[in-house]
Amino acid sequence: MSWLGLGDVYFANPWVLWLLLLIPVLGVLEYFRSKKRETAFLLSTANILNEEERPRTLRERLESVPVYIRLLALAAIFVALARPQSTTSGENVFSEGIDIALVLDVSGSMLAQDFSPNRLEAAKSITDEFIAARKTDRIGLVIFSREAFTQCPLTVDYSVLRTLLTQVKSGMIEDGTAIGNAIANGVNRLKDSDSKTKIMVLLTDGVNNSGEIDPLMAADIAMQFGIRIYTIGVGTYGEAPYPVQTPFGTRYQMVPVEIDENILTEIANRTEGKYFRATGNNQLADIYKEIDKMEKTKIMVTSFQNRKELFLPWVAAALILLLLENLLSKTYLRKLP
Amino acid sequence: MTTREILKKVRQIEIRTRGLVNEVFSGEYHSVFRGRGMEFSEVREYQVGDDIRSIDWNVTARFDHPFVKIFEEERELTVILAVDMSGSQKFGSGKYTKQQIAAEISAILAFSSLKNNDKVGLILFSDKVEKYIPPKKAKSHTLRIIRDLLSFEPSGKGTNIKSALEFLNRMQSKRAIVFLLSDFNDSGYETILKVVGKRHDLVGVMIEDDKENEIPAVGLLRVIDPENGNFITLDTSSAAFSEWYKARRSKLTGERKNLFLRSKIDSISVNTKESYIKPLVNFFKMRESRW
Repeated sequence: MSWLGLGDVYFANPWVLWLLLLIPVLGVLEYFRSKKRETAFLLSTANILNEEERPRTLRERLESVPVYIRLLALAAIFVALARPQSTTSGENVFSEGIDIALVLDVSGSMLAQDFSPNRLEAAKSITDEFIAARKTDRIGLVIFSREAFTQCPLTVDYSVLRTLLTQVKSGMIEDGTAIGNAIANGVNRLKDSDSKTKIMVLLTDGVNNSGEIDPLMAADIAMQFGIRIYTIGVGTYGEAPYPVQTPFGTRYQMVPVEIDENILTEIANRTEGKYFRATGNNQLADIYKEIDKMEKTKIMVTSFQNRKELFLPWVAAALILLLLENLLSKTYLRKLP
Repeated sequence: MTTREILKKVRQIEIRTRGLVNEVFSGEYHSVFRGRGMEFSEVREYQVGDDIRSIDWNVTARFDHPFVKIFEEERELTVILAVDMSGSQKFGSGKYTKQQIAAEISAILAFSSLKNNDKVGLILFSDKVEKYIPPKKAKSHTLRIIRDLLSFEPSGKGTNIKSALEFLNRMQSKRAIVFLLSDFNDSGYETILKVVGKRHDLVGVMIEDDKENEIPAVGLLRVIDPENGNFITLDTSSAAFSEWYKARRSKLTGERKNLFLRSKIDSISVNTKESYIKPLVNFFKMRESRW
């Protein structure tokens, strides 16, 4: 219904618009009424007024304008009664896409600088690129260390997602690594999804050392819901420089990298996913590219309909017109009797 | 108006005009509207002081005693009141409408003629002749004329002076005094006016209202033409309009006055705002001085 020139306009009570047909009827009635049955002063010399040379002024010609302004106001009221609404988008969009839960480790060890500038920032920027490359997937973000929580639920609103991603910092949660809880949280995000393909990308750099849920049990749960888990272990082989708070400021200390690769591989295997080991920024980017290539299916995205009531300008117009009519007929176009 | 109200009104007019008729107009009316001439009525014995020219020598010789001829003025006059009952006569910005003024003037004239033993007839006209009451001489007849003047409801709304005067010419062959009471809101009556003026003693009584000559500036004014029921909206605040209107009205009035002057017909102008007695008295004075 874009015939009103207002874009997507939809009327909640379209039948009220039929009343608009009354307007021309009223106009015609008014026209004939003004010719007859009206109070007027008797003027005995009116016969000379009909003559052609009588000077006719603008005011005389505008005589019936208030009546038509009133009809216009009535029309505006009818339109307002029909409740015009604008919908931001009212259609279902079929698109290729999958549901992705990105599970990101934010524990203190993620600040190790075997990646540049550190593991977390590298993961963040590469994840950001990954998100930007996807177009129609619903992506959610779960962060974890000692506990896991949802930073962003599944959404197609990537701008929000990416904003939330940039806000991720190490130390948001108490230090630790609860891989089981993280998987469970990701499963929780994905389990209600209707999409055929549900994947989880678990990025960690440590060994499960906290949390109430065993990582393998969580993997079993994920399997039950048909969720594929790609696990990524980040960290070089050998030792990596970890930041350590000392009384003299932050110092870096070489600490051996411990990644529970067995568990991660097992998780991936149980859920028909794959385990990757990233030892540098490039490898991590390649891994994400690989995942990107592997996952593409069709899902249906239903954007929510945002209806906005548009009656206000019509009511305001009606009010202004009525005021104008009143003003005109009381001042400039005041008619006697 | 109910019959009772009309009768009351007739009585009021009778009482109100009685004084005027008896005092103000009696002498003037009598002398202004004289008969055709002197008519012999009888002979009587000569008395001291009689004009010796009026001695009838034949009778004096026969009776051997002086007799004089007595002449009487031919008094049997006919007065016709032709009153305009058109829609425009219902206008009046003051206390009375033009029609009411016309009725009162007619009443005065009718009573005056009654007092002077004249016959009074009535023609009521609008766009046609609405009613004709042939001239008669009786008080009851005069009262009837006044009652009709007050209560008559015309069927037409327009003004047609021409048809009224033509009708008068047809009905009244004998010379009569004709009072034509109207606002002369008409045209095309010029020729017949002259004809009637030649044949009868025609007096035009123009009844006017100030508001007819100048419409007050009140912005948009909705007016109705009483003669045809048309609605017209006027911008009375417009200077162009009021100037045009004033010019138009004074032109029409001037033309009408000129017409009466050229046709040698007397006219009386009466305004609804002022008393009609003064113009009437002035008119009679003017007529008197002419004789």
